[in-house]
Amino acid sequence: MVATTDTQTPTKTRRNPFRFIVVPLQVIGRGAGNVVGILYQSGRDTIDQVIRNVLPFMAFISFVIGVILATGVGNYIAQGLKPLAETLPGLLGLTLICALPFLSPLLGPGAVIAQIIGTLIGVEIGQHQVSPQYALPALFAINPQVGCDFIPVGLALGEAEPQTTEIGVPAVLMSRLITGPIATIIAYFASFGMYS
Amino acid sequence: MDIVNSITHGAAEFATNFIGVFQTGGKTFVGLVTGIVPLLIVLLTAVNALVRLIGPERIDRVAQASTRNIFLRYIVLPFLAVFFLTNPMAYTMGRFLPEKQKPAFYDSAVSFVHPILGLFPHANPGEIFVYAGIAAGITTLGLPLGDLAVRYLVVGLVVIFIRGLVTEAITRAMWPAEAKAEVAVAGAGTTAGEE
Repeated sequence: MVATTDTQTPTKTRRNPFRFIVVPLQVIGRGAGNVVGILYQSGRDTIDQVIRNVLPFMAFISFVIGVILATGVGNYIAQGLKPLAETLPGLLGLTLICALPFLSPLLGPGAVIAQIIGTLIGVEIGQHQVSPQYALPALFAINPQVGCDFIPVGLALGEAEPQTTEIGVPAVLMSRLITGPIATIIAYFASFGMYS
Repeated sequence: MDIVNSITHGAAEFATNFIGVFQTGGKTFVGLVTGIVPLLIVLLTAVNALVRLIGPERIDRVAQASTRNIFLRYIVLPFLAVFFLTNPMAYTMGRFLPEKQKPAFYDSAVSFVHPILGLFPHANPGEIFVYAGIAAGITTLGLPLGDLAVRYLVVGLVVIFIRGLVTEAITRAMWPAEAKAEVAVAGAGTTAGEE
């Protein structure tokens, strides 16, 4: 069956006097249709993602920034944040708190805490309260807990055995206590010469 | 009359301050939407299309080839995974690795979903403010962001490499102990009960 259809199709095309036009048109039409379809679907996915994940968070962050800038709460936050964000020991203290194995899974979800503290430090940098050089180490100091809430799910996505998850969760949490401060120290030294 | 005056005056001032909070917030929101969202939408569309055109099979093949040594495993593989598959699908790349290395790969990949944001915000748009929050302060000062974005990415790569190594070592150290416990459970329930 397959063999006969294979031999029949070329003879049919050969008999067709317009095959020089028809075949390229087919190829171009199908190809263009595919590519446009892919691009359109990509656009649709993008808009979905922006509406569902990006804009809601922007609305929420805008409100937080509005409260900080318009009420003067920012001055109190600056007093609390400045010693933490402007010295290496302060940054390391912040890192260690966020990396504590029983706190890190609580601080993790959606990176909400990291995003809020990041925004607060950003506002303080913008108001000359914290010098811009500390932006880089701060990015690591506020984030040693990244993904600590998500370890079982992340491992399941990687098709890990239940036993791997049992060992993996404490392994990652403990690893963060070591690598969190290391990351902040590396970032601190890597920030030399930036914005100065 | 004076009291009434001061009360209305106070109320008016309160109203101005109250609405001022939301006006400032609104201005910030418009700034974010016009500043970040257009670029993000176009970039996201381009990368989504690129991933679809390349096809998941070919990305998988490159990923599979990137599991051989520690440098490929904890620098190249997480980068490819986060860039092409984005958060959270990036962690599915762990399936190409042996069980003992999966926690280390997860640690490595998940630690990269923010350092990549400075240059490629499409990888994790839902958590963009980890970077954009601090970056906004730099922009307010009128300083360029390129330096911060590049350094964040490079330091991020160094950090995920270290995380991969440390977590792999910790996992390896914990592994035999767990395996022995499993044997103990299979052998005699009482010994396991004591532990």
